[in-house]
Amino acid sequence: MKLQDVDVAVIGAGPAGMAAAIKAREAGAERVVIMERAEELGGLLHQCVHNGFGLLYFNQDLTGPEYGHRFIEKVMDTGVKPLLETMVVRLTEDRQIGAVNAREGYITFKPKSIVLAMGCRERSRGALDIPGTRPAGVLTAGTAQRYVNVEGFVPGKKIVILGSGDIGMIMARRLTLEGAQVEAVVEMLPYIGGLIRNEVQCLHDFEIPLFLEHTVTRIHGEDRVRAVTIARVDGRRNPVAGTEKTIACDTLLLSVGLIPENELSVMAGIQLDPVTGGALVDEMRQTTVSGVFAGGNVLHVHDLVDNVSWESELAGESAARFALEGKPQKRGEISIKAGTNIRYIVPQTISGQRDATLYMRVTEPEEMVRIKVGDILTKGVRAVKPSEMLKIELPAETLKKLKEETKEIVVDCEKRGGK
Amino acid sequence: MSRIETEVLIVGGGIAGTAIARELSRYKVDATLVEKGADFGQGITKCSSTIMCQGSNTLEFRSEYHNSRLVWAGMPLMAPLCQELNIPLKKIGSLELIKNQAGMRRPEKMIRRFNEYRGKYISPDVEPLQFIDRETLRSWEPNLDRRYIGALYDPNIAVNDPVRLTIALAENAGQNGVNLLLETEVLGISAGIDTFEVQTSKGSIKCRYIINAAGEYIGNLAQMANADDFALYPVKSYQAVLDKKMGGLISHMVFSSEDGMVSPTIHGNLFFGISPGTQRLGKAHDHSTDKKLADTALRRAQELVPDVSSKDIINSFVGFIVFRNFEIGWHECTVGVSRWVPRFINASIGFPGICAAPAVAREMVEILTRHGLRLEENPEFNPYQKAMPDFSELSDEEKKRLIAEDPRYGHVVCRCETVTEGEIVEAIKRGAKTLDGVKFRCRPGMGRCQGGFCGPRVTKILARELGIPETEVTKKGGESQNLMYKSKELLEAQP
Repeated sequence: MKLQDVDVAVIGAGPAGMAAAIKAREAGAERVVIMERAEELGGLLHQCVHNGFGLLYFNQDLTGPEYGHRFIEKVMDTGVKPLLETMVVRLTEDRQIGAVNAREGYITFKPKSIVLAMGCRERSRGALDIPGTRPAGVLTAGTAQRYVNVEGFVPGKKIVILGSGDIGMIMARRLTLEGAQVEAVVEMLPYIGGLIRNEVQCLHDFEIPLFLEHTVTRIHGEDRVRAVTIARVDGRRNPVAGTEKTIACDTLLLSVGLIPENELSVMAGIQLDPVTGGALVDEMRQTTVSGVFAGGNVLHVHDLVDNVSWESELAGESAARFALEGKPQKRGEISIKAGTNIRYIVPQTISGQRDATLYMRVTEPEEMVRIKVGDILTKGVRAVKPSEMLKIELPAETLKKLKEETKEIVVDCEKRGGK
Repeated sequence: MSRIETEVLIVGGGIAGTAIARELSRYKVDATLVEKGADFGQGITKCSSTIMCQGSNTLEFRSEYHNSRLVWAGMPLMAPLCQELNIPLKKIGSLELIKNQAGMRRPEKMIRRFNEYRGKYISPDVEPLQFIDRETLRSWEPNLDRRYIGALYDPNIAVNDPVRLTIALAENAGQNGVNLLLETEVLGISAGIDTFEVQTSKGSIKCRYIINAAGEYIGNLAQMANADDFALYPVKSYQAVLDKKMGGLISHMVFSSEDGMVSPTIHGNLFFGISPGTQRLGKAHDHSTDKKLADTALRRAQELVPDVSSKDIINSFVGFIVFRNFEIGWHECTVGVSRWVPRFINASIGFPGICAAPAVAREMVEILTRHGLRLEENPEFNPYQKAMPDFSELSDEEKKRLIAEDPRYGHVVCRCETVTEGEIVEAIKRGAKTLDGVKFRCRPGMGRCQGGFCGPRVTKILARELGIPETEVTKKGGESQNLMYKSKELLEAQP
């Protein structure tokens, strides 16, 4: 396959990229390439050796590598061409891709359409601006996960984890199983940042102390981390003087949020949503640049990989259609606005003509709520949490209820009356 | 334990020590530099603001100060030096902002003083200061807060990367014959009649002259030789680096004495900080940041450029400077022979240290000559240093060519800063032994993810190139191992 003839180029071969590439092939695109900077397909799934993957997508409880492997096989079977150890370093508004690898050197080509599937990165110590010294032994939970599960090293023996994101809690368990002592998981909010099942299976089952409404206020140690100081925070998340407590440790892991990796998107002039950190898309997952689609964590950080796969299939299918039809799809122009207790909604716009799947997250946990999508759909939900995504299907049939002149649909999450 | 004899011993591998070593390598002299850290420029040099300034800042310090004269002498030497060593230096110019009519008197005074000094203390090649009115200021810096009514413009202000400069100075000094010893800490000094016996962590060194360029430890070293005829006070500030996507927010270094400063860096980021000199004293050798300073710095930066946001901070660090005491003059430096111990020469410039370093180095040559050292020119001295390859700055054609020559340049290891394996291997070949050593030479881990992605990969390359296990790779030498145990090691140790 000559690069000049490529129909769909997918950037990133994690769960999102693989699902998009497979679907693009299945939807009729002949020449699909998947570009990946690592040595193999699969992205971060290789280091996620725990289970809990595929419960929705495959109806089976799989580990990360198992889940990944099913897609890797399909990538190969469907004839998607992988370009491994290839780093995309340039993307232009007219869909020119510039990439480097050791075999071909610097390559440029222009595919008919593109799917962005670069995933996300972890928030670092620097981004949090945690005061104190700058010793070795401060690392993100995902980096630690790679060291432990792929490289075969344990970063330290006495661990404190800041943040209760899923990777943090999973690493608390993983490091305990490796013989390290997890002294504390420290969370600034009054509730955990990850899934309940991880709180139960990773923290409670291993008797790992969880400090809610606390944060790390100082890092100690010159060469290597020696201790951290934690303190309670007030309602405005500021540390409360006098509540400090110093915990001796040699490692501080950070699990305090993920940031969609959109440097290439910005380079291409794609507009981003300031809340999600990902591109603004319509229900086809088309970005503001014609012929460029996006799916998975590059668009917004997902809770479950199953949702990443589904969303990216949508992006892959749309990209294939764009490549085959050779003319731009009309972008959706009805905007979907976050209302009461909704933090964000993807997609940000819809056409109203086609089926649409809305993914959203709430701002605050709440029980017995009603999700209202404008005046066209209402759905009762027993409990909502910021850590769990809500998925609302809007079939084209339902969207017919929209009035002709509708420009905006507000989605609210309201407490059901009386309870 | 070894025993070395040398004519001149330079203690400290920061900007001052390496600049002196490189200057001395112009002559046929037996010189040795010892540095206690694992790399050069990792003490207060690393804490520098990266700004090469002289004009309006040092004009305040007045010509009667030795410090001012050294800064003024050093400034014009900086560009040719960076050129010889192939280190980027970028003139950005500074704007000292004026808030109200009362503030208008300062630029007048500064311009007058500058014109008076120019040709006398300040080189005539230095461009004159100018007053910039409100409209010009707006057009130059549209993202600046609207309250400012004008500015004092100093076109000479430049930014560079002081650690890279320090490393290049050390490399060049080494190639021209200076003996460089890292991880060699001075533990004690005994003065003989015309020699010193210096005990170090690696053995003893006999020498005739000691140049004390120990940075923040200059007082400790002087004390070992009973030459501490001065007192220094550490001052701490705070600096934060913003994501490159904010790099275009402003194009000059902008500052006001009340509001701190915001400036572009040489690498295309933006950074802000509290200008030193106004802050309370820190504890000696305490390089930790604290929340109070961080919050103040952010607030002040936002007064200058409202779009500066904590969301875009990718890292922060302490700015650390040692000043002399108030009686002698806050801004005075400690450069000269000890009044108590002959042939023991102190070299601490204080602030602003980086751009004064070339002048301090020249002055050291004079001082040594005056105190009996014969310096004959080294005919083999080569002032040039090959640049580190910088893949991300190359054109597409150059990238292709480089990868064809060495495929390791086609392997991008650090995605944020686009650093390739080829560059990392070259950095290690040139002396990097730690993660920080690699990072300060070619930048993997300096971008927005702060090494989250490339950290494991750089560790692997370091282990491979140095022929050590990954558990021995350190962040910055000493006990700063990044990975403490192999898989299952902790389990096997359990009863």
